Amino acid sequence: MEYIKKIEIRYPFLPSPVEVYERENGHKIVFAKKEGGLVNISSWVKTGSINEDDEINGISHFLEHLMFKGTHKHPAGYFDRTLEAKGAIVNAATWKDYTYYYVTLPKGPDNSYFYEAIELHGDMMLDPIIPEEEIGPAFELGDNTVKEKRERHVVIEEIRMRQDQPWTKVYNEANHNMYKSHPYKRDVIGFAETIASVPRATIMNYYGTFYTPNNITTIVVGEFDSEEVLKKVVEAFDFKGRKNTEKKCFELDKPEAKYVENYAHINTGFSIIGWLGPVACSIKENIGLEIANIILGEGQSSRLYQNLIEKAEKHIFNVVASDYYSFRDGGNFFVQANFKPENKEEAISLLKKEVEKLTNIEEREFQKAVKKLKVRFAESAETVSDIADTIGYYMTVCDNIELVEEYQKELEKISINDFLDIVKKYLPLEHAVVSVLMPEKKD
Amino acid sequence: MKKIYLENKIPVVFKENKNTPRLALCLYFKIEEQEKKAGLFSILNRLLMQGTKKRTAEELAMELDENAIECYSEMKHDFIRFKVLCLNEDIEKTLEILEDIVKNSTMEDFSKEVVKMKGEIEAELDSPKSRAADAFYKTLFDGLCYGHTYTKTLEAVDNITKDEVKEAYKSLLEKSPKVISLVGDFDEADMTSKLNKHFGNLSNPPKEANDDDAQKLNENKTVKVEKNDASQAQIFQGWRVPTIFDKDYPVLLLLNTILGASGLSSRLFVELRDKKGLAYVVRSSYEVYDRAAAFSVYIATEPKNIKTSLEGFEFEINRIKTTPVDNIELENAKNNLIGKRQFFTETNLQQSSLYSFYEDKGLGYDFEEKLIEAVKKISAEDIQRAANEYLKDPHVLTVLAPGQYLEF
Repeated sequence: MEYIKKIEIRYPFLPSPVEVYERENGHKIVFAKKEGGLVNISSWVKTGSINEDDEINGISHFLEHLMFKGTHKHPAGYFDRTLEAKGAIVNAATWKDYTYYYVTLPKGPDNSYFYEAIELHGDMMLDPIIPEEEIGPAFELGDNTVKEKRERHVVIEEIRMRQDQPWTKVYNEANHNMYKSHPYKRDVIGFAETIASVPRATIMNYYGTFYTPNNITTIVVGEFDSEEVLKKVVEAFDFKGRKNTEKKCFELDKPEAKYVENYAHINTGFSIIGWLGPVACSIKENIGLEIANIILGEGQSSRLYQNLIEKAEKHIFNVVASDYYSFRDGGNFFVQANFKPENKEEAISLLKKEVEKLTNIEEREFQKAVKKLKVRFAESAETVSDIADTIGYYMTVCDNIELVEEYQKELEKISINDFLDIVKKYLPLEHAVVSVLMPEKKD
Repeated sequence: MKKIYLENKIPVVFKENKNTPRLALCLYFKIEEQEKKAGLFSILNRLLMQGTKKRTAEELAMELDENAIECYSEMKHDFIRFKVLCLNEDIEKTLEILEDIVKNSTMEDFSKEVVKMKGEIEAELDSPKSRAADAFYKTLFDGLCYGHTYTKTLEAVDNITKDEVKEAYKSLLEKSPKVISLVGDFDEADMTSKLNKHFGNLSNPPKEANDDDAQKLNENKTVKVEKNDASQAQIFQGWRVPTIFDKDYPVLLLLNTILGASGLSSRLFVELRDKKGLAYVVRSSYEVYDRAAAFSVYIATEPKNIKTSLEGFEFEINRIKTTPVDNIELENAKNNLIGKRQFFTETNLQQSSLYSFYEDKGLGYDFEEKLIEAVKKISAEDIQRAANEYLKDPHVLTVLAPGQYLEF
């Protein structure tokens, strides 16, 4: 067997360390042990909309759909049918920095389901044939004469679905204006026009460029024998000398304030106020913004909820919350709200004031947030899929699983002063991008 | 797993999962009488987390968050249940807070909570899918509390008084049968004593026989909802079918799996999505309440595909009625249904929730095992018979789309 480098990482609430293997070709394999009859097998590919431009926006996600359309060994549908007939949950997802594919299933008698899943998962990842008849013929959007409606149309329906979601609309507009020139500015799902016309050759070329050994991490979580499973994963992932992907770097733009307003046939107002955040591997700064998120907008004890809904003298807001998305080159922190449209100006002003007040916090609020972050590791150790998701994030977005340990150390160390510095650096009002979606104006 | 009883005869289902850091507890209050005014129990449910005689709403939220205790209540028409998760070492604190919420909620924030609820509903109804689902369930369950949807609540909520909510709370405490389940790493004797201390003096009358005669659908109903800027049509078609108390419950579960709930390999998914490219989301569902249940099919598709989608539904429903499922598909569906149940009972909270759900229904906390055995025995003839018996008119069809597409 080839030489495989191994390291171990301490992972909270798991009975044994996480094992991280790196093959000579750069393919990484990670094992995490959790008792029980279920296993999760996933492969995380370091590509998503970050590797797209306007010409191919949406191709990462379209490819994710097409990966299920058969290999030289097995026809389209075989993978889903075979594994779902064993009680498996099979799916995939695409985001800005990554695309991942997973199977969660019972191990079966003598691990038979588990081993078959590794084989089929590897086959799907490395040998997709993406037949023209499954993609469906290219067409011009709006052409009603198309008869062969296949996967292009499925993805276009997914795009339509998102067009009807007010939160998605208002977030995308904010996102687009925050990143400006960085590829993160694009919505992962892309445009219907592109999906309708992108040729198979472009898709295959994209696959060949990014589905390479050093771009893929395969993660297995469950109760199993490492030596035996390592052998099976290595066998299933024979890259046959596939060339590795060169790393690309993108710089974020300098943040600046902006206001955008759009309209839809809705009855209430929606808003997102967003700020650019730090790179994913800057653990302390990420923790700082996670704390800010808990204090400001997570749950009923949060400031936004208490001050703008619970204790508000005037009913302006229906929904208020905040969130923080961490991305490789710089995440985003945002405040979201649904409000009475006649109070738009006041609503935006109140939201901004709450963010401004983050520079004044009490020890009690700070400690609440720190405890919540500590317990999150207990939460994320409860299911095989949650464990895989956390590992996948560190391996793919941060490119360094050892940051799991650093995260715990930093969480113990972080002080209120550290927190205030991070808030001042990343959440000044002069950097806020405001996106508003309002009811269509009546003539 | 075992069942014990508190001093007041509240059944408690215990399951020990050693070496798990968080305990999960569910506490059920059965709602024995159907809600008369839409929204009454929703407001009551919200007010249960809005302050007690000892704690204001803010103090309560803060104390839960400071201790990283997840505690929330849910109203599902037949019951209100609390779901609680805490670190093992925080269980005593958690039970003390839960007892306070259960016994001492003040309901003082009634007016504010009504305003908040109306606002949240208005925001939710800006989603076309929510609007279509609202119209569908309102019609399918007309005359039953399960039809008390968002819009029904908006119509009725201003006629609900604080006294009515207080009365409903009193009734819940005094007249509702209760069930507890606890899953995680704990000592049984210690936990029995703790639960008796906090909940052993709650009133717990025996369950009454549910003899409501659920109103039936008498004729096909089509509801069209116009939304002129919708990119997709939202289509729901459904039937009223037997509940979990019926011998055909396992058959309907399996029928649902075959038709549209097995993931990427169900018939609706393969035929309408993979082969015809009509949708990203297409599925069937089987939703069960105590007095009624719904079997439905759903698709979101470009408005010009409405007719093709309805024909697709009709074709697949006719196929399952007229052609017996072959043995391979039948066995695959059984394995899918049974195997996936492991996935849905992976965490302590999922397990706690399931056991108390069955116990509350009077089916016994170990109903899951019986259900799996029943699923294994289902034949192709059972599926065909159930499809013919239950997926037949009258039905409800709801379509949301731009006006020009609603003539179909």
